[in-house]
Amino acid sequence: MEFLDEDAALMTRYRDGDADAFTRLYAHHKGPLYRYLLRQVRNAGAAADLFQEVWSRLIATRSRYVARAKFATYLFHIAHNCTVDFFRRDLAMRRGARFDEVEQSTEPEVPEYQRPDVIAEFAEQQSALLAALGALPQEQREAFLLHEETGLTIEEIARVTDVGLETAKSRMRYAIRKLKKSLASVHSAGTQPIRTRGNLKDTLVNGSA
Amino acid sequence: MDPPDDLDNYLRGDSALSRQYKRESAPIPPHALDRRVLEFSREAYGKPPCLAPLAFAASVLLSVALVLAILFGPQSAKRVDNAPHLVRVAAHANASTNAPLNRKLELYSSDPRLARAPAVWLADIAALRRAGRNAEADAELRRFRSAYAGYCNRRACD
Repeated sequence: MEFLDEDAALMTRYRDGDADAFTRLYAHHKGPLYRYLLRQVRNAGAAADLFQEVWSRLIATRSRYVARAKFATYLFHIAHNCTVDFFRRDLAMRRGARFDEVEQSTEPEVPEYQRPDVIAEFAEQQSALLAALGALPQEQREAFLLHEETGLTIEEIARVTDVGLETAKSRMRYAIRKLKKSLASVHSAGTQPIRTRGNLKDTLVNGSA
Repeated sequence: MDPPDDLDNYLRGDSALSRQYKRESAPIPPHALDRRVLEFSREAYGKPPCLAPLAFAASVLLSVALVLAILFGPQSAKRVDNAPHLVRVAAHANASTNAPLNRKLELYSSDPRLARAPAVWLADIAALRRAGRNAEADAELRRFRSAYAGYCNRRACD
């Protein structure tokens, strides 16, 4: 049998009972997957939870794996679904918190990764590019991260995110345009473009358009 | 709108944006997280995903076997009891522990090693005749005569 990539062959071996194949797969993909999740949810704790969830799902469903495409599309499709679930839960939690606030007039329970001080602390540790990336709409950020972290093509990104080719292309085009614009505004401000708090603030203000 | 080839340039990986992203720090998962995932993988490997259906199939198989044993077990024992050819060997092997059964089976036996005492054998033949099983009685009498050739000369055997 011919495989599209080495990792698809490794996953097939793991499915068929070769436990060592998983260790190699994990080593290949742990970095890109972790960064994808971290930069999507922008909280280390939530990213770690999602990271475990993605691998757990992969392990639990290994018997159903069929090597139809690059392994990265399979893995990141699981990751995409996990992040979608995460954002849904997060939205529901925030709505619930707002409801409780109206009902009880008490301070709502907000997850740690949503607390303003935590967000600000995280933002201050980032470069201008990462801050601009964080300011992108989630779908555009995801398209950019999938390409940067895994080298997936637009067609593969469309498959991973369950959208049409034109939608994926449009998301990517907007992401690039906004990132360039944000970085250009940092440069035109005449400050150091990367890793300074001053231009980070500019980026957060100007780059979220 | 960007020029049409801007996206293509970016996708080829030779854009300033890509180069800048690659210069960013590249965090990796903490070692504790690595350990947890790899441990989970090893634990899951010990339990194949097809284990549950196999266990279910084994339970069904055992249940069916048990039901069959209950339904057909006593009947088959009864059949053995009534089948001289099948039980003959068992009777021979188990002669000391099941005397009444052996007694009954010896009646049908053609095994010379199972030859009975003449009086007993003749009593068996008489019992066969009383039961109207004359053909069997005649056959037993022939075997008796071959086993005890001189006995019938001294006494009346018919």
